[in-house]
Order: sequence, then C-alpha cells, then structure tokens
Amino acid sequence: MGKEKLREELLKELSDGVVNFDEDKVAEAAKRIVEEGLGAYDAIMNGMAAGMEIVGDLYDKHEYFVPELLLCADALYAGLDILRPHIKSEDLADRVKGQVVMGTVQGDVHDIGKNLIKMMFEVAGFTVHDLGRDVPLEKFVEEQVRTDSEIVALSAMMTTTMMGMKKVVEMIKAKNPDVMIMLGGAPVTKDVATLFGADGYAESAGNAVQEAIKMISRLRKLEKGQ
Amino acid sequence: MARLTSKQRVLGLFRRDPIDTMPCFSGQGMVTLPAIHCLGIRFPQVHLTAENMAESAKKSMHMFEFDSVVVPFDMCTIPEAFGLPISLYANSEDILYPTIPGKWPSPEEVTIPGDYLKMGRMPVVDKALNLLREEVGEDKAIGSWILGPFTLAGQIVELDILMKMTIRGRAKVESLLDELTELIIDLGRHYRLEGADYMNLREMGTGSDLLSPRMFKMLILPRLQRIFDEWDFPKVLHICGFTDLIIEMMRDSGADAISVDHNNTLAETRKKIGDRMLLFGDYNGFTLPKKATKEEIKEYIQGCIDGGVDAVWPGCDIWPEVNEENLLTINRKIRELGRGPSPAVGRL
Repeated sequence: MGKEKLREELLKELSDGVVNFDEDKVAEAAKRIVEEGLGAYDAIMNGMAAGMEIVGDLYDKHEYFVPELLLCADALYAGLDILRPHIKSEDLADRVKGQVVMGTVQGDVHDIGKNLIKMMFEVAGFTVHDLGRDVPLEKFVEEQVRTDSEIVALSAMMTTTMMGMKKVVEMIKAKNPDVMIMLGGAPVTKDVATLFGADGYAESAGNAVQEAIKMISRLRKLEKGQ
Repeated sequence: MARLTSKQRVLGLFRRDPIDTMPCFSGQGMVTLPAIHCLGIRFPQVHLTAENMAESAKKSMHMFEFDSVVVPFDMCTIPEAFGLPISLYANSEDILYPTIPGKWPSPEEVTIPGDYLKMGRMPVVDKALNLLREEVGEDKAIGSWILGPFTLAGQIVELDILMKMTIRGRAKVESLLDELTELIIDLGRHYRLEGADYMNLREMGTGSDLLSPRMFKMLILPRLQRIFDEWDFPKVLHICGFTDLIIEMMRDSGADAISVDHNNTLAETRKKIGDRMLLFGDYNGFTLPKKATKEEIKEYIQGCIDGGVDAVWPGCDIWPEVNEENLLTINRKIRELGRGPSPAVGRL
C-alpha cells in the first residue's frame, strides 16, 4: 500500500474511532502512524480532530449528548497520548503557541465542561495550565501572571457558584486588560458574560465543545490554505 | 377579590382550585443576603444551624413578600449524611455554597448508612422545618426539595464517570438509581411529616443538554414515576437547561407541576402539555433580581404569563445578593399581572 493511501486509511480509522468512542481502534491507528513514520500532528488534526468535528455535528443534531462526548474524548485521549510525543517541532513552528489557564471556580466541583474544553485546547496545540476544580479565585490571577497566558477559561455549573467568575474577571482585567476571558457553564448567558466583562462564553459542556471544535476547524482550514 | 392566605393560595394552586392571584414562591433556594445581614450572620452560617436556616428563610420571605419559605439551601446535606466529606467554607465572607470535594469513584462503591437521617446536617433540616411550621406554618406555605435520583447520584459519584457509565455500565447505574429512588421516596415523606407542604424534586442533571431523550425515557422517567406515584402530597418536577425535547415525559412523570428555566420554550411547552398540567417558570434567578430594570421585569413576567405558566417562579436558586428593589418589584408584578386565570388554574 502506498504511503498516502495508508495515511488516508489511518486518518479515517482515527476519525471513526473517535466518533464511535472506540479507544482501542484509536490507539491501534495511532501506534501505526508512529510505526510507519507518518506525521503525528497531521494525524491529530486530520484524523482525531476531524472526528471531533463529526461528533460536534452529531451533538448539534441531538444525536450525541454529554455521555457520548465524554466517551469520544476518552477515545481521542487514547490517541493523543500516543501521538503527542512524536509531534515534530517544525510541525508547530508556524502554529498556535498560545497558553490558557483554566479551572472551575471556588465553590464548584463540576468539571466536565472544563475537561472537554481542555482536550480541545490541547488538540489545537495550546499549552494548558489546568488548575482543577474548586479553585480559589486569586489562584487564577497568580497563574495567568506567572505563565503570561493569553486566555483564561473559567467554568461554573450553577447559579450558586458563578459569581466567583465575576471577581476573577475583574482581578485579571485590572492586571492585564488584554487577556481573553472565556466563561462556561449552565448559568452563563450572554447577559451574564457581558455583565461580568468576559470576552466569550458557552452555556453548556456541549456548547463549549462546539465552540472549541469550530476553533479547531478554522485552524485546520487555515492550514489547508482554505 | 377574595383574599387568601399565602398557604391557601399555594395549596389551592396545587389543587387547581380557583385562587385570588398568582402566588410568589419557589421550589429552589430563595435565601437572600439582605435578610442574612439583618440577622448579623455570614452566608456560610445559614447552613449550619436550624435556627439560622429557618430565620434566614423566614426573613427573606417577609422582606420580599413571598408566599412560601424553602429549606434547605444547599445540595450537600444528603451526601454529607452518607459520610462524604464536604467543604462548608465556614470562614468565608463570600457567597459560597457547600461542595463535595471527593466523591465515590463508581456507583458500586456507594454505601448508604441505614441511619443517615441522624447524620450530618439532616437533623438541622428537620428542625428548621419544625421551626418554620411552628412559626409561620399557619399562613405561609413551607416548601422543601430533594435532588432527583440521577442528580443525587451525580453528587455522590464522580459525574463524568456516572455519565459514561450510562452507556457503558448501565446496570450499575440503574442499581444505584433504584436505591436512591427508594431513599428519596422515604425522605420526601419524612420532610412532609417534619413540616413541608410541598416538595420539589430537582432532577436538573437530566436535561437534553446533558442526557439524550432516549436515555431520559429509559433511565430517568421510570424512577420519577415511581417517586411521584408514592408521594401523596403536592409535588413538582424541576429540570433546568434544555427541556423542550423531554417536556411530554416530564408531564407524564406523575408530578402535579413541572418547573423549567429560561432555556425552555414556554409557549411550545404549554401546547405540548395541555392546559391541565401545572407549569412553573421561568425567570433567571440571577439576572432578574440582580440587574433588570423595572420595565424589563414587567416585560419578562408578562412574557412568562403569556407563555402559559401557572406560577412565575425562578428557574434556579435565587442568587442571594439580590437588588432589594428588584426582588420586591418581581413579586409585586407577579401578583399584579397574575390576577387573571392561568391555563390550569381559575380565579376567584
């Protein structure tokens, strides 16, 4: 089999494996990519990320829901763990080198949305500083300053916990107005995001993934010169 | 117009008897910071003693002219009674609700103590209900709530694991849900005996932004039906988030009323559920009491009424740091604009 045909076949297996949350299939295809000396970054972006685009469509059509997204994420990580060490530095030379600080605000221990977004940032090549859950508000500011991250992503699942995000936005913007702040969680509406001074928002784990998938989709198109 | 007491108004609504005007009440937390400050305590302290819980609920009700009080305020009382460690943020000056930092890693590891009603803050909630019944129970409606089986399961088992196991490992999830369903039935009866006039089952982890309607039908609905079949007192099913796809199943759950938040399309919902089912919703418990203008409040409440609700109530806990004027305006507008009959309830 020619190299290009093999590449296409393995990319399809990666994509299908993610869509069908088949961790074994993804891991197997990822190992073949490495063994055959094919591009790891190419496999991530045009195999697994392409699969996540399909997953996003299925979520949009109400065919997939959060349990399915989580299983797709597991499958994606099964491949990402294998492929990431093999990404060549020249692959990343012209690509995103951003950093993001993320976490669930103090008072909230729900981190599904945050973890899904983390995955998509990692796929896109960002360096992710994950502070975990129930994070003291000052910690976000400290970490942003320490890492000089361009993005801070905050998550809160309930009305009863989202007010902490407002304080973080204020503290970070006071120190560095150029930092982009994204809010996520069920109680976060456009009004709330505006009121809190955030730059972007998503109101559910699925919506957040959708936004992240769009971001990666744009990145893929850019790379293809479209 | 005949004047009813708050209690008569709320309980009349549940019976679908004609009432004088739309009640102002909730099935979720409605404790407010202005009331807490009057008591000279900090927010985390409202959860710690029966007196603080009852007084802050009562003060909030009086200050903002609600028809009901609701206790408890946080979602950790039952997990705490099961033996899970909780964070109370007891020394914080902020509005931080208790959380559960570490949950069981899988459903089969959950162990529920037989005497959980005596553990943690369960007796605090009981006593708060007793105090409220003694002090305001004659005129005011007393509400309480319990998380639904799936949402409660998500409070005691890591949620991402639970979610994934609905697809891969469903039998273990079902077994836990069955156990929690029986517990919820008993606990609802218990709260009723302790003083609650109505119960809200908050199954907010099951909207269609999380679980598929197919999963809801298979995994959630039968347990809701079992609970509501056993509860012979006024009962509400509350699910927030995207509920348009499951609203008929919510109607068929056996609850007297269904409660939704601002993500629901009310007018469509009313068409789907018919005029006999009680529908409560759906103002945003943060934006309306906190930052809306009077005109926006009026418009929103009128929109809810036009959308076919029988009670305009918050779609989630009211965020405690309310603008006092706003919350008063909300409740006064509900009474003023709610004088006409609603789809399921006539007027005196």
